[in-house]
Amino acid sequence: MLTKLREFHYLEPSTLSEALSLLDRYDGKAKILAGGTDLIIQMKQKKLTPEYVINLKKISELDYIEYNGQWLRIGPLVTHSMVANSPIIQKNFPMLVDACLAIGVPQTRNRGTLAGNLCNASPSADTPPALIALDAKLKMESSDGERVMDVEDFFSGPFGTVLKNREMLTEIKIPSLSEWSGGAYLWVPKITAVDETLVGVGVLITLNPDKRCKEARIGLGSVGPAPIRAYKTEEFLKGKRIEPDLFVEAGEIAVSEASPRSREDYRREMIKVFVKRALGQALRKIEGAI
Amino acid sequence: MAKGGFWVEHLINLKINGEPYKVSLKPNTTLLDFLRDEIGLTGTKKGCDTGQCGACTVLLDGKPINSCLVLAADANGKEILTVEGLGRNGKLHPLQEAFIQEGAVQCGYCTSGMLLSAKALLDEDPDPGEEEVKKAIAGNLCRCTGYVRIVKAVLVAARKMGG
Amino acid sequence: MSEYSTVGKAIPRIDALEKVTGQAIYGDDLKFPNMLYAKALRSEYGHAKILNINIEKAKRLAGVKAVITGMDTPFLGGEALMDYPFLAIDKVRYVGEAIAAVAAVDERTAEEAIELIDAEYDPLPPLLDVQKAMEPGAPLIHEEMHTYQHLPVIKPIENTNICHFIQFLKGDVNRGFDESDFVFEDTFTTQMVQHGAIEPHMAIVQVDPSGKITVWVTNDSPHRLRQDLSSSLRMPLNKLRVISPPYVGGNFGGKGGLKVETLCIPLALRADHKPVKMVLTREEVFTSSLVRHPSIVTLRTGVKKDGRIWAREAKVIYDTGAYAEKGPTVCHQACVAAVGPYKIPNAKVDGYCVYTNKPIAGAYRGYGIPQVAWAHESQMDIIARQLGIDRVEIRLKNGVEEGDVSPTGQQRLNSVGLKECIKKVAESADWSRPKEKYRGKGIACAFKNTKTPSGSSAIVIVSQDGSVEVLASTVEIGQGSKTILAQMVAEELGVPVENVIMANPDTDITPFDASTTSSRSTFHMGNAVKRAVKDAKDQILVIAADILNADSSDLMIERGLIFSKKNPDKKLTISQVIKNEYKAGLDIIGRDSFYPVADGETGGMWSAPSIFWMYGAHYAEVEVDVETGRVKILKVIGAHDVGKAINPFTCLGQIEGGMVHGIGPALFEEMIIGEKGQVENTSFLDYKMPRALDIPEISSLIVEAHHREGPWGAKGIGEMTVVPMAAAIANAIDDAVGVRIKDLPITPDKILRALKEKGNL
Repeated sequence: MLTKLREFHYLEPSTLSEALSLLDRYDGKAKILAGGTDLIIQMKQKKLTPEYVINLKKISELDYIEYNGQWLRIGPLVTHSMVANSPIIQKNFPMLVDACLAIGVPQTRNRGTLAGNLCNASPSADTPPALIALDAKLKMESSDGERVMDVEDFFSGPFGTVLKNREMLTEIKIPSLSEWSGGAYLWVPKITAVDETLVGVGVLITLNPDKRCKEARIGLGSVGPAPIRAYKTEEFLKGKRIEPDLFVEAGEIAVSEASPRSREDYRREMIKVFVKRALGQALRKIEGAI
Repeated sequence: MAKGGFWVEHLINLKINGEPYKVSLKPNTTLLDFLRDEIGLTGTKKGCDTGQCGACTVLLDGKPINSCLVLAADANGKEILTVEGLGRNGKLHPLQEAFIQEGAVQCGYCTSGMLLSAKALLDEDPDPGEEEVKKAIAGNLCRCTGYVRIVKAVLVAARKMGG
Repeated sequence: MSEYSTVGKAIPRIDALEKVTGQAIYGDDLKFPNMLYAKALRSEYGHAKILNINIEKAKRLAGVKAVITGMDTPFLGGEALMDYPFLAIDKVRYVGEAIAAVAAVDERTAEEAIELIDAEYDPLPPLLDVQKAMEPGAPLIHEEMHTYQHLPVIKPIENTNICHFIQFLKGDVNRGFDESDFVFEDTFTTQMVQHGAIEPHMAIVQVDPSGKITVWVTNDSPHRLRQDLSSSLRMPLNKLRVISPPYVGGNFGGKGGLKVETLCIPLALRADHKPVKMVLTREEVFTSSLVRHPSIVTLRTGVKKDGRIWAREAKVIYDTGAYAEKGPTVCHQACVAAVGPYKIPNAKVDGYCVYTNKPIAGAYRGYGIPQVAWAHESQMDIIARQLGIDRVEIRLKNGVEEGDVSPTGQQRLNSVGLKECIKKVAESADWSRPKEKYRGKGIACAFKNTKTPSGSSAIVIVSQDGSVEVLASTVEIGQGSKTILAQMVAEELGVPVENVIMANPDTDITPFDASTTSSRSTFHMGNAVKRAVKDAKDQILVIAADILNADSSDLMIERGLIFSKKNPDKKLTISQVIKNEYKAGLDIIGRDSFYPVADGETGGMWSAPSIFWMYGAHYAEVEVDVETGRVKILKVIGAHDVGKAINPFTCLGQIEGGMVHGIGPALFEEMIIGEKGQVENTSFLDYKMPRALDIPEISSLIVEAHHREGPWGAKGIGEMTVVPMAAAIANAIDDAVGVRIKDLPITPDKILRALKEKGNL
């Protein structure tokens, strides 16, 4: 590990289009600096040696949390702390607050951005399962244009995303929750209370007026090379009457959708337990609101 | 990596403990090394250099961050508070007094970081409970004290400060 | 008995002000003019011959002042066994071993230079399993072991990887087992863990034109380091100077012995008298400093049906890693305590200290005793359950008492606060409270010795104005030694604590002290300063007697004022006395030493009897989530017999800190070793130490079983406070859900698996 970083050119664009044209110009040789909690560690560990570091923090237009009742839009400079402290998100999307607070070190939360964390794509990241459950969309921009995709399609493997060198993740968009919806993000840490996540479960369920499950969205974190959307489990829950054993069975189906690569037995048990618990908590949220 | 070209230095303006500084530096300097080596404020400590132990915690615009993971150049235009800036004109901050009186200091290496994390908490929440204090110092590792007296000292300081 | 004026009082630490204001100076804060920075190239193999190291490109890099390899540093070191090369010479024995080092004008250049060094190895199969390493015919990690110098008490077994074997015998265990009603046999294991001091290791070395070497270093024992360097470098002691920075950021045993200075010294010898500084990265602290010995302890115990232990046999294996370091004495000291603090008529302990190609194991808070206590306290509960005896009762029934012969037979014990600790903890815990579902209570007790003999000297200078300076080489590593030594001096001299300054340990100035280890400083240095003060006091009172026209035996010093008991109205200050006698100026110098030897059968230095034993008991209450196997520790209580609490504040701080430190290896911490012998988790991200959110409700209690030779009856505390915690937790988990885990750490995976096997879900 390096005690002193290798030299680099440091650039501070003041608009988004400036930043994107810098990404063009230094194609493959530049890295984006938002919070830096991942980038700087990786530079110290010699995993990354960018010639150019592009600091986004002078671009104030990238720092926003906006909710118009239909869409929550989060800019790429928003930190996990900002999300956790946002009254809008606390009121309307509390499970995202929980996912951000799963990053136990306050100093990291205060710097690390939601967008940066997604781009780092650690398999044990906390926000992806919650964002999958929330049906989040990600906007990626380059000087050629923009594209939007579902968050579950963003990850290509451990520490890998579909983001191209010249692209930047510029927005996370989450639709408002429909009536009779409730969500939960639960996680079990690897070992201590302040620790990386061993199994992370994000769920959002929506009920019909007759109390059957209308729709379920389930995101699983840290149980495969990338965050997983548990399609089979969601399909299983659709249309079913809510009964005590339903969530137990859902947990068991979720296990079959995951492929943990270490502590497999224990992780499988925890998927069962936490999918069950998360669904239960989401249900209680709905019941509490009715 | 090509070493032929020259590496540009950047001029930054920032405030440290209320004092303005204008410095020219290479961007590959962390805020931690800058504070310790360039400015000579050695109260902020280097325990792991990878943002895990919290010994390098300083307040950047009032928020606790690990200075080992922030580039000094990125602190341009910001206000930094280090442990040396806690007291005022020789008078100790209530947190510092409480740490002394409650026995919250043993080897002292985590102390600077603990004080700043605690200050940030009390600035935002003047009347925290035990759980809030533990969450606020969750990023600060201590091997000596078991955290017991640190938590107590923060609560004592809060009461004294009128929380 | 008069009440003490400062001893026994919970005064705030005298170094706290410096530390809370960020003014306290630690090793890395030291900067000197023209200082060079050093970095090391470290082996990526766990076991390999070094074929070639090419340093030419590194030497030519601008800003590089010196580059060395093992060929330049043919020095061997090691306190117990001299097996440790300053730099690997022909062979590497663990991943992370230094093979080359560079000194340059700044850290960036030094790191670049390291990257320019090419090393070629011929890899050998690494020996990672300690039991395989012990087998006859196993490949030898140290082929030349039979040539190494070693302490007389150390007994390596030639042609093996066993660098020390020790056996203790008492009575006849075989007959004892025959006479027992039940015989239990269990094997317990502990994992590799690390000290986790927040401050990394460092050293700055400078050589002056006369060839004298000065070392500023975060080391717990400046004089011992000086001796080690003198032996290794074959230099006289007065050509070596070891200076401790004013404060050390945590030690726990990890900063003793030869460390970073082995690289800085040869570099400094080639640096044109410039100081050479090296600070380990956290990664290097994990791989290349010290770890705690992983262990395998097999206990065979014969008991009578009423619960009395009748015979106990222990086989103790310590995995000491690539070099012996303090391994042999850890093994030795711990084996003396291996059978537990119990009345045992027949005992046998076989202890093995074994090399493997893994990180070096050395002193770690508890010095081998946490591992044996893990075994004997876990088994005690197994026995109690089987016999249907209450787990507190069985310990009280067997526990040693004042005057008993020690369990391994070498001495009679005095100052024994064991039962009081157990009783106090049980009472505080409300032990007989009925059990709740998924919740459990556990208790464990243990004892720990101190290395005997060991010596401490102290000099006390009383200045013209009555202020006092103490020259003592005890290092303030966070334990509060500066404060309590000042309290002891103030008490003995009869002056306020504020008048006393403790000098910085510096082997040119502060006299010999064996070490700041083994929980020995309160007792040994405490006695030394007490005696040194008495020496000064005697001199002052003789002069005062003359001035007051009184008998010096009638004189007292109280609050800095001297007066005769017979005529208390005529008072003199210490300053008046000295100035009166030495009008042109002079100090009063008091000096003395303390070098105790324990009564009892000895097999040579440090072989067995201990001048004092510390006793303690821990209680843990847990709740187990049977769906996840996760353990929540609800409450812990610790009671420790310290002889006398010189400062209750610092004692309670040690107990609280020690218990939380003990929770780490019990539930969270484990250094994972890969197939090459490399440490996989070399950061605090992956090596999990307890944080503020992990701590339970904590209660600490002080017990004082006065020691007749301790200063004001005091013994020691530092290490004992981690020892019983792991077993207390395991015992509580067993109580909660009927699951017995015998290998540390206790993970949720293990508990869940055990619950499944039991059919408990």
